[in-house]
Amino acid sequence: MKYVGKKIVTMCITLLLVSFLVFLCFSVIPGDPALSKLGTEATPEMVEALRKEMGLDRPFFVRYGDWLWSFVKGDMGKSYSYEIPVSELLVDKVPITVTMSVMSMLMIIGLAMPIGLYTTKHEGSIIDRIIYALNQVIMAIPAFFSGILITLLFGIILKLFMPGGYVSYTTSVAGFLGYMIFPSIAIALPKVAMTVKLLRSGLLGEKNKDYVRTAYSRGNNTTNVLYKHILKNAMLPIITFLGMTFTDIIAGSIVVEQVFGIPGIGRILLTSISNRDYPVVMAIIVCLAGAVIIINGLVDLVYQWVDPRIRLEEAS
Amino acid sequence: MAGNPQRKWFENRTEAVYMRKEHTMRQKRAKVLLMVVLSLALALTGCAGRRQGESTESQITIGIPQDIEDSLDPHKAVAAGTEEVFFNMYEGLVKPDSDGNLNPAIASDYDVSDDKKTFTFILREGVKFHDGSTVTVEDVKYSIERCADPEASTLVAAFTNIESVNVLDETTIEIKLKEPNADFLASMDTAIIPASNDDPDKVAIGTGPYKFVSHSPQESFIMEKFEEYWGQGAHIERIILKVTANVDSIVMNLNGGAIDMFARLTATQVSQLSNDFEVLEGTMNLVQALYLNNAAEPFNDERVRQALCYAIDKQYILDMTSDGHGTPIGSSMFPAFGKYYMPELADYYTKDIEKAKALLTEAGYPDGFSFTVQVPSNYGPHIEAAQVIAEELKAINVKAEIELIEWETWVSEVYAGRKFEATVVGLDASTVTASAMLLRFNTDNSKNFINYNNPEYDAAYARAESSIDEAERTAAYKECQQILTETAANVYIQDMAEFVAINKKYAGYEFYPLYVQDYSKLYIVE
Amino acid sequence: MKKKKNLNLIIGGILAGAVLLLIIVGIFWLPYDPDAMNIDLKHAGSSWAHPFGCDNYGRDIFSRVMVGARTTLFVALGTVGIGAGAGILIGAFTGYFGGWFDEVMMRVIDALFAFPSILMALVVISLLGSGKYQVIIALGIAFVPSFARVVRSEYLKQREMDYVKNARIIGCGHLRTMFVHILPNILPVLIPTVMIGFNNAVLAEAGMSYLGIGVQPPDASLGRMLSEAQTFLFSQPLYALYPGLTIVILVLGFSLVADGWKER
Repeated sequence: MKYVGKKIVTMCITLLLVSFLVFLCFSVIPGDPALSKLGTEATPEMVEALRKEMGLDRPFFVRYGDWLWSFVKGDMGKSYSYEIPVSELLVDKVPITVTMSVMSMLMIIGLAMPIGLYTTKHEGSIIDRIIYALNQVIMAIPAFFSGILITLLFGIILKLFMPGGYVSYTTSVAGFLGYMIFPSIAIALPKVAMTVKLLRSGLLGEKNKDYVRTAYSRGNNTTNVLYKHILKNAMLPIITFLGMTFTDIIAGSIVVEQVFGIPGIGRILLTSISNRDYPVVMAIIVCLAGAVIIINGLVDLVYQWVDPRIRLEEAS
Repeated sequence: MAGNPQRKWFENRTEAVYMRKEHTMRQKRAKVLLMVVLSLALALTGCAGRRQGESTESQITIGIPQDIEDSLDPHKAVAAGTEEVFFNMYEGLVKPDSDGNLNPAIASDYDVSDDKKTFTFILREGVKFHDGSTVTVEDVKYSIERCADPEASTLVAAFTNIESVNVLDETTIEIKLKEPNADFLASMDTAIIPASNDDPDKVAIGTGPYKFVSHSPQESFIMEKFEEYWGQGAHIERIILKVTANVDSIVMNLNGGAIDMFARLTATQVSQLSNDFEVLEGTMNLVQALYLNNAAEPFNDERVRQALCYAIDKQYILDMTSDGHGTPIGSSMFPAFGKYYMPELADYYTKDIEKAKALLTEAGYPDGFSFTVQVPSNYGPHIEAAQVIAEELKAINVKAEIELIEWETWVSEVYAGRKFEATVVGLDASTVTASAMLLRFNTDNSKNFINYNNPEYDAAYARAESSIDEAERTAAYKECQQILTETAANVYIQDMAEFVAINKKYAGYEFYPLYVQDYSKLYIVE
Repeated sequence: MKKKKNLNLIIGGILAGAVLLLIIVGIFWLPYDPDAMNIDLKHAGSSWAHPFGCDNYGRDIFSRVMVGARTTLFVALGTVGIGAGAGILIGAFTGYFGGWFDEVMMRVIDALFAFPSILMALVVISLLGSGKYQVIIALGIAFVPSFARVVRSEYLKQREMDYVKNARIIGCGHLRTMFVHILPNILPVLIPTVMIGFNNAVLAEAGMSYLGIGVQPPDASLGRMLSEAQTFLFSQPLYALYPGLTIVILVLGFSLVADGWKER
């Protein structure tokens, strides 16, 4: 229990640090939110008035403290450009990105597990080699390029979806999910390749361990040994890897949303950064970082729970 | 991006792990799962091909390059992309038409006193707001005074000149100015909104041919035909503006059918469109130039600036970047300005490398020099022009380093901060008045970001501004342009070509000399 | 088994070597000035004079691929240099000494890690302006956390080993122990990590160029060329193919070499 408590404290500290770093970054980079909102026709007086209205004339630490206090109270502030509460802005967008992440996660698990197991079982076969080569190639394609190729193949040639024809989930849930399949594939593809590779090498690494020999000597056949004994030992690093993949999926979704024209969190984040719409940027990054930290924390806890011998310091 | 080196770290943990619980996972189950996922995927795909909202009402989906990143308050809107859309929802006492004339709109008539200090407007009878109420003089007074408050962020610059707004009777309103201003009428296209609206940020009530329906940030902006519009109403019932932020996907989205229309395409994009589209060519109505900081070395020397003008072939830039489309210009004015525009200035400098080199030598740079051109990273055509310019300048040993900067950085550093050597952008006019293009080059003007400093110019401009006689004004404005060209204030390039692609199912698109889109003229071809 | 492992190394070596050769030749000799525009050659197709054809400014694509690959390689090496350099230092000190310094650094590393790396890049670019070197710094910083974690966990393991204790007993200083004794022992883990990091850097450069925050025009880099070529995907699809294929070959080559190395 002490371990859990400490974990939560360090998670909070990390999150605090993230928020401070982002706040710091955006107060030093060039570009003034007031000026950026008013544009080139603004007079200096108008800019000054708006700066005051936005509270930008106050010192850095006062602004940060103020932001932090409101955030802790659950108030994420108001978007500079849209002039609506940030929470209102994000509440429509979160489901989009979450759906995409979950769908690609399902694809990663749903595809990588069977493929990984198959290739391990049939190590050295033709199919194993083909998959190995395919894996390597997939990992070598830049994310946006595979996105474009998928659009070309499924959208233009096979006409399975309409490129750029994003359907809002408020209009049609089925249409929305149907459209989201393709960007999810673009995100999942390289991750599937990595997971297969990791799973295969993990499984093969276990193959020569004592307990496997014991299992064989008890008369189990290969399939049995593989599924009953090896898999669960090889699963833990995979789970950790999948936890980490979450960060990559989010980073990847920024690019993929751009390729497929999806108005998700990534798009809002990019435009808010370039509009210097700090309340929105802060909210998104802190929430994303929070999600990443919590998921990684959970993975560590699961790990600790499964194998208490992992020492505290190694697990951080 | 950076997840991979992580892998070894997990593998180390594996060694410490024991088998603990029985855990079954059968190959069959995995196969079933896979089948389910795949069949679900295919089933859903069938739905994705169809277009959203297949209702019987007429509609058009139009791609826009950036979101309406503003509130719904028309007075706070400053982004060009917002203003061009709000043109369909809000109107002022007068409204510009596609020829650049100002026509009475919410006002049915107006009168300008001879001293250009008193403007009187008669309200049109029975003009309705989108909420059904009738426009009153009080609404007009409220709207104008709201934008005249120097403390407010809703300020319209020309309104600082207003002395008083007086309601004369139920249909007449009079605006008195402190100083005479012949161009004041052009600012009277400022939107009239109801005084009763408590939250104009979120509730959009105007008088335009279209009324607001919904806005989903970064996704879509939807408008609907306003049935009680006072004038010639719109034809298409529903306008769906779809944010198409990724420039590279525009062609794909048009050809694939996700959008029916897109304005401001480049020649390259147009050349890849399918036969389903009608392509209309107009002009962007802006002055694209290599703007030079006249206060920075070496551009504080007129000869250096002239040398650049002689070294850069405008037509070559046009040929290279847009297959020759566009209009080369020579000063801070574009053809849509009609009588003010001087086409002859475009040929004032013709490409002459020897002359350019001679001028550089004279100015003390016989071996050339190097400088940085900052270009906003979100404007493809300017980046392309900058690349061609850099290549052309190599001929006179001048090295132009291109630096792409974010638009927001451009606004704060280059435009407001004036910390730059040179930049390629396009400047447009907010109203169809010559002053909109020429005011900024006055020595002390707050928008004079190139630090142009020429008493002769200031004098000519002052003459233009103060004269009441139309011919005299025009002559003085022309003199201003002439001075800009002769002193090579900037390297003027072109008024860029604008292409609008519209699906052949629709027609009626009209170009405006201002940065607006008029959706009410669009109709469906039967 | 033995034969297959070597195959990875050989094929990977050939692929990566081919691109490297192209780059090295490009340093001394190029068919054309990669920035020279020619209006008559706009979108020219393949010919003997221009094997890969010309782009929208009539520039020779083959020359630009040669120069672009050089830029990309430079960016990737710089990124890995910064990421691995700083990562090794941080990882070594935190892993070896532990204690409060370890705690503080790990929180910072965690914070950086929770940051989408694209975002980190955007921030650095906004701060320092854009260009080759700025991209290297941006990506370099983004790569530090992952290297630091790998190195730290290795040091944690190694510091308990007998040879480290022996080194201390015979009077080696901490620094000497850390970098002369321990570092060579973690190389088998470090080298594949560096190679994978290199690949990620190549892909990240492409991603940044796609978002318009990469190398500045008219400079060519593979990522920038690829994103420029996108505009002409319908009219000149081969333009996208050349830089795209070069990226794939380079990355594929290195990851095969990394695999081969690990299994050696």
